[in-house]
Amino acid sequence: MRPRSVWELNMVGRLKKFFSPRSSSQPVLPFTVLFKKFRSILERNNLILELMADMGDKLGGEYIFDKQYIMDITEKISDLVFKLISDLCVMTRVEIVDLFVTFERIQFEIQEELAGRRAVPLTKPVLLLEELSGDCREEAGNKFANLGEIRNTLELPTMDGFVVTTRAFFDFMEANGLFEFVEQGLAGLDLSDDSALHALGGEVRKRILTGAMPKHMVLAIHAALGIVCDRNRGRPLFFAVRSSAWGEDSESSFAGQYESVLNVPGKGIVEAWREVVASIYTPEAWRYRLHRGYRESEMAMAVGCQLMVEAEVSGAMYTYAPVAPEQDAMVISAVWGLGVAVVSGIAESDTIFLDRQPPHRVISVEPGRKTTKIIGDQAGGTALVDLPPERQDAVCLGEDSIRRLARAAVMIEKYFRRPQDVEWAFDRAGNLHILQSRPLNVRPDQPERHMPNIDNAALSAQVLFSGQGTVVQGGVASGKVHVALNDDDLNNFPFGAVLVSRYTSPKYSRVMRKACAILTDIGSATGHMATLAREYRVPTVVDTGVATRVLKTGDQITLDAIRNVVYAGTVKELSDFEITHAEVFEETSEYRMLKRVLKKVTPLNLVDPGSEFFRAARCRTYHDITRFVHEKAVESLIDLSEKHQRVHDRGSKRLEFAIPLGLTVIDIGKGMNIPPGVRLPGIEQVRSTPMKALLEGLLESRMWETAPVAVDLGSFMSSFTRTFSSSMARPEDVGRNLAVLSEDYMNLHLRLGYHFNILDAYIGEELNDNYIYFRFLGGVSNIERRSRRAKFIADVMEGFDFRVEIHGDLVVGRLKKLPRQRMVGRMKVLGGLIGYTRQLDVNMTGDEMIDFHLADFMQRIQILKEVSEDAPVCRLRPADPSVDPG
Amino acid sequence: MPPCADCARPTRVLILDDEPIVCKRLKPAFQKAGYEVETFTDSSSALARIEQMRFDVVITDLKMEGTDGMHFLARVKEVSPQTGVIVITGFATSETARESLRKGAFDFVAKPFKLGDIIEAVRRFEESLGRD
Repeated sequence: MRPRSVWELNMVGRLKKFFSPRSSSQPVLPFTVLFKKFRSILERNNLILELMADMGDKLGGEYIFDKQYIMDITEKISDLVFKLISDLCVMTRVEIVDLFVTFERIQFEIQEELAGRRAVPLTKPVLLLEELSGDCREEAGNKFANLGEIRNTLELPTMDGFVVTTRAFFDFMEANGLFEFVEQGLAGLDLSDDSALHALGGEVRKRILTGAMPKHMVLAIHAALGIVCDRNRGRPLFFAVRSSAWGEDSESSFAGQYESVLNVPGKGIVEAWREVVASIYTPEAWRYRLHRGYRESEMAMAVGCQLMVEAEVSGAMYTYAPVAPEQDAMVISAVWGLGVAVVSGIAESDTIFLDRQPPHRVISVEPGRKTTKIIGDQAGGTALVDLPPERQDAVCLGEDSIRRLARAAVMIEKYFRRPQDVEWAFDRAGNLHILQSRPLNVRPDQPERHMPNIDNAALSAQVLFSGQGTVVQGGVASGKVHVALNDDDLNNFPFGAVLVSRYTSPKYSRVMRKACAILTDIGSATGHMATLAREYRVPTVVDTGVATRVLKTGDQITLDAIRNVVYAGTVKELSDFEITHAEVFEETSEYRMLKRVLKKVTPLNLVDPGSEFFRAARCRTYHDITRFVHEKAVESLIDLSEKHQRVHDRGSKRLEFAIPLGLTVIDIGKGMNIPPGVRLPGIEQVRSTPMKALLEGLLESRMWETAPVAVDLGSFMSSFTRTFSSSMARPEDVGRNLAVLSEDYMNLHLRLGYHFNILDAYIGEELNDNYIYFRFLGGVSNIERRSRRAKFIADVMEGFDFRVEIHGDLVVGRLKKLPRQRMVGRMKVLGGLIGYTRQLDVNMTGDEMIDFHLADFMQRIQILKEVSEDAPVCRLRPADPSVDPG
Repeated sequence: MPPCADCARPTRVLILDDEPIVCKRLKPAFQKAGYEVETFTDSSSALARIEQMRFDVVITDLKMEGTDGMHFLARVKEVSPQTGVIVITGFATSETARESLRKGAFDFVAKPFKLGDIIEAVRRFEESLGRD
């Protein structure tokens, strides 16, 4: 935070004099206090945004942080948000009950997250598969949370269906007093006595099979069944009903411990659910849990119900062939019909080894003798049928199917960053379906023995560049470079390639499922593309400065985005280590906790102040509250100044302009010089150094190309207004702009349609006091264009020595401690920039437009003598670094 | 980048932090960089270990339950003065930094930190040995 300087204290004194109410008819809080609160809201607002960006950075995997960090930083943010609301309270002098209630709710939710109290998920008893994601582990169990990612994030084909959640499980168990029963039973039990555990388990299973189903649960199951059946008319409606317990398919696989019921007709779902849930208490499963130290309270089971695939061929695939770890191979086991036989290992199957690297060449095929196959019976359940002799030795998968399966499996492995055991099926039409995928444990017994390999491999590999830019998403990836400079380059993006580009752009989400890694020259770790890269878990480094210069399409490289090194060629040992040894950061409880907390902090739901939903009660995150308070603070300061005008305006000195824009000017000390009789002050009446410079910059730079150059502030500002109506802003959006001025100081809130600028500046004789803070946000066009505009603004400001941060389409620039004349010059540039950007996002049709506009702006801004005479300070960054020798 | 240029064996690193996540994440990162790593989340086992085995580098948290990281640092320097100690802490005050440096710490890393930063700190220590 900036220390309070002398001028500020002086200003407070001046404020006091100026605003102490002369008339006692209207109670007015001293403006001093109000403006102080206003400034403090701004400062806190900025700090909150910075802390949010800080937390976001930690999700990338480059940082080591612990739970203490999450606790500390959330406490800081909570504290700031609370004080922000309190400041607003003082400013508006109304109890903002809704805002405090909202704050307390969010704070409570965060505290619950931090305390790890999430025992009974507050969810519906049934969730459709499209509602699932990796964040649903508590609700849907690991298996179906993973399947949700495979279906909804990776968009791989899966059968339609729904999950009966752990919430339903808890409701059922409680309604039947079964938790209590188990607890009491265990209390009096000698765990070494197998027969006693056996008997207790038997009794629990009986009670589950016959217990009363809560009505809401049955209704929810029927509702979900109705939806799924409606969507799948014309096909047989039989379901696979499978367990998805807490902890299942995680570190302990629980493979085969719990029941699955296949080919269940809709009316049999409830009974199948009971069977699956009852399998929790088979002696084998119970022992398995006890051995691994699972407590009873850690036991909860969701049950997934998915339509059956009418499988022609099914099987399992290991993305790491466990038989030959030094060989870079994957292995597929396949049988005709349903895959039960493969999974349970009861029948012979075809075994196919293939290369892990694209294009996944087949290494060997060993056909198994398949005398029978399992099929879904028309009456429900499964049946074993004999196979005709000609199919018994035939290999069930063709090259094309093998390759499609391999790509899907690699995609899943890349995403979860663990070798995978994928269950799959092809239907009669040849469509692939992913049934489930679980992590495959292939860590060698003596990991230390393999260590020197990695070291040697990394040593002998050529380092192309290292430590450049910012890691957005950690991980290791190896592949061929594909440089993308335009949309065509994206259209033919090859599977498994490394995306290399100049800029970050959300449009790359198109290829993110294909890309094994992303490297950009320029970009920020908090942009939209960064968010997507993290969502798809694609190892990504932005802002390397050199990627497109050093790397050419077709180069084989390996990116270690944990240590941020790019190697030439394939460093196989490194990739292997990463996928078999390294801790998967996204699986750590700290990562998941931070992510859950962030959900309650950073999303911005209140975007449009003109909307009826822009209300305190609608705030769902700290970001919402912060945005809301800021908007209300500006409004309140304007209201206040209007009130003051009524109190103070006796003719000679005016406190605000009556201009069409509605730019309210509050002069807190020699900011304006208005002679008697002047009703409508123009630019010549402005004395405030920063304000004057800004306005002059706007005029002199002639960036306002569509409107005639205005001669006075009034007509100049009315051209603002015309721009508004043409750029979709509603009339009520105009007229809430505010400037607080003194001789050396300006605080300006300028909303141009949906563009929102904040400028806070002090320009005086004392170099150390001088600063400019500039914030730019918003716009009506799509996010790509806004991001490009943000990039352009950042480039311009950096060219003029601002320290710039971009977070999505928010740009913050700071400049400090330059002599008065230089500060004035830069303020004029900002004037030009505000003029230039007002319609810019419409023009930002491609990434190349960023460089075009940068060059255009830099050339046109030379018209300002402050810029042309100050050449050494304003550098135009070359559009193409490859032609720049420096 | 050879971990220990003039000796045949890899540099031995001991990591002590009572937050398991720190050990969990540092261990593979250092292994990948060619180091031999042992991690501890309680200071008494770590204390016992340094009596048995000489480590080239010790990385320790400063504020932990039980033994203060500062005591651990002092003990390491007593047992093996050549060992380079790098201190990590969530409370990055200049006071703690000064004290740990006075007690013989080679460097100081504030939590949260980047993986690259701490590996870099160890590298700097190794280079400092080379120069002596």
